[in-house]
Amino acid sequence: MVDRPVEAVSTGENVAGEAPAEEPDAVTDEATVHDEDVELERTIGLTGGLAIGIGTMIGAGIFVFPGLAAENAGLAATLSFAIGGVIALLVALPTSELATSMPRSGGGYFFISRGMGTGFGAIVGLGLWLGLVFAAAFYLVGLGHYATAVLAEVGLSLSINPVIAIGVVFGAGLTALSIGGTENTAKLQNGVVGILLVVLTGFLSYGVLDAAGVFGGGAVPETFFSQGYVPVLTTAALVFTSYLGFAQVATVAGEIKQPGRNLPLAMVGSVVVVTVFYVVTIFVATSAFGADQLGRFGATAMVEVAREFLGLPGAIAILCAGLLATFSSANASILSASRAVYALSRDALLPRRASEVNLRYGTPHVALLAAGGPILVLVATGEVELLAEVASFLHLVMYGLICVALIVVRRRDPDWYDPDFRTPAYPLVPAVGALASFGLIAFMQPASIVIGVAVMLVSYLWYRYYAGDVVLEGEI
Amino acid sequence: MTERPSILVPVRVLEGEPIPEGVPQLLANAHVVLLGYHVVPDQTATGQARMQFEERARKRLDEYEAIFEDAGASVERRLVFTHDGQQTIDRMISEYDALAVLVPNATRPPSDVLVAVRGAVGVDRLARVVVGLFADTDVSVTLYHVADEDETDEDVQTLLDGVVDRMRDLGLDRPGVETRIERDSGPLEAIVGAADEYDAVVMGETDPSLTTFVFGMPADQVAEQFLGPVLVVQREPSTADESE
Repeated sequence: MVDRPVEAVSTGENVAGEAPAEEPDAVTDEATVHDEDVELERTIGLTGGLAIGIGTMIGAGIFVFPGLAAENAGLAATLSFAIGGVIALLVALPTSELATSMPRSGGGYFFISRGMGTGFGAIVGLGLWLGLVFAAAFYLVGLGHYATAVLAEVGLSLSINPVIAIGVVFGAGLTALSIGGTENTAKLQNGVVGILLVVLTGFLSYGVLDAAGVFGGGAVPETFFSQGYVPVLTTAALVFTSYLGFAQVATVAGEIKQPGRNLPLAMVGSVVVVTVFYVVTIFVATSAFGADQLGRFGATAMVEVAREFLGLPGAIAILCAGLLATFSSANASILSASRAVYALSRDALLPRRASEVNLRYGTPHVALLAAGGPILVLVATGEVELLAEVASFLHLVMYGLICVALIVVRRRDPDWYDPDFRTPAYPLVPAVGALASFGLIAFMQPASIVIGVAVMLVSYLWYRYYAGDVVLEGEI
Repeated sequence: MTERPSILVPVRVLEGEPIPEGVPQLLANAHVVLLGYHVVPDQTATGQARMQFEERARKRLDEYEAIFEDAGASVERRLVFTHDGQQTIDRMISEYDALAVLVPNATRPPSDVLVAVRGAVGVDRLARVVVGLFADTDVSVTLYHVADEDETDEDVQTLLDGVVDRMRDLGLDRPGVETRIERDSGPLEAIVGAADEYDAVVMGETDPSLTTFVFGMPADQVAEQFLGPVLVVQREPSTADESE
């Protein structure tokens, strides 16, 4: 068992007179130790970590984006997803290193606040919370599209478009379930991810064989860069929302068993798995229909792809899988957002009340409402692409800063810094990771950039007003 | 004075479970590892529950610690916030190499205990618990075995005599350790039935199998039906567990 002492010191008070909670004494493979005899058990294993990462990511990339991406970039959307995957991997490696040296709840926020100071920490922390809110809203709108498609499939035609209403209802339901539910949500999530991977593997294997001409279909030859080169990058910026999940593993880093081994494996592993699935999915989808036609199907394009290959049963299978996947992504994002609120409140950047635990259910009702409330407002806008891009923007800022934080911490090399995992090809990987993360932002729609910058600005002003005296640094 | 056996006493510290009557006296000669734990739902970070509940939980544990110490036990304590109570209990068993885990239920001040002997395996740890707890008291000890069809009375008597010898070696030097043999009955019902006449039960842990997976561990079932305290003697920690 590795006993790792923790030597971070947090001082100061916020305007409400609350100081950051004291840091734990040590971190072991099985627990986080406070004051010798108080411990926090680590209960999430490698499977659980992978399920969080993959479960958060796979909903969007496969079930919502193929149609939109193909419309924007043509066949080259495959490349867009690959670019996203490479950037995610470049960030996942530095994140893993930082996470193994500080396996505490809060993820990217925690590393940046401890590595680069409270100001950056506040921007990233509040950005992480809101970024997850935007992401969850995006998944819920996707869920609305799938539920609507199900209604259409059973022949129920409504006079109004129910996408937003369904998204709002599910958003409210999920929040209520998280507050009042005591059932074992983690095991459920593992099961859902397992089912999804099985369904998708079967479907994609068939699709690849078909595209290769085995079943006599054969792919339609098409120009790869049918829309030109720039859309490949703008599409990569759009679909980057499909790669946000690995950082959610870091938000529960404080609860992962054997963090030195499991954190890097879960983060890097989930990025690699979903990248492969995404690229194959886009390839299969575009080879079935051609990019133009796929684009016209919109958010539920995968259902039409499945129908083309396997008829009605295929369409139903993908419909169900899409419901499950968007549901699990939204659920995971709400829970992560609540963890982010907790981490901020622990460090006195938000009122201590925000992390209060409900006495009846034992759940953090204030933090969950702080996630669920804004989500409903955002779902009501119904703007799939905007929601996705703002979520990506806020995460990309964090990712870029994580890479910078790694370089900062390594250069100062404080005594406590002793990660179990070291990023290969340092400093190339974090440097390229930071440049790529910030660079991708440039390819977003102006509206997304404006909203993202505004969120960062408000976050910084909140920090200056509310917690300007709080100092959160490791002993660097 | 015999060696104090380390006994894990897990308590769901925030659910208002008091230490049941009679249990402190039962463990007066033990080294009590007092585990206060609080199970939080997956939605809640364990640290979040700690921020809110640590003070209350500490106060409770202080009280419990005092109760056990007043009864004569030496006490070590831990407070753990967890998503999985069983995992925490298992970790504590191996960290402290606890000989037995107490399933707490109320009892009278103990005057007699039933010791269920399953077979030759694990007899040493069973004997260490019984001797450590009861050698220096006037609690009377009854060894109990539920015989299989193909076991003769002589076989069983040899087994139980072996336990008696082992206990004498360890320091339980007194006449009148009784032995009882039961036949024609499932071990579980037999133990529950016999336990009624006693104040506490000491029994071994069963290897996990499909049956235990479906119906739960026999020790837990006994504890549930017996309504008195059960000391579950743990298996020797295997080397396989450590490499995990």
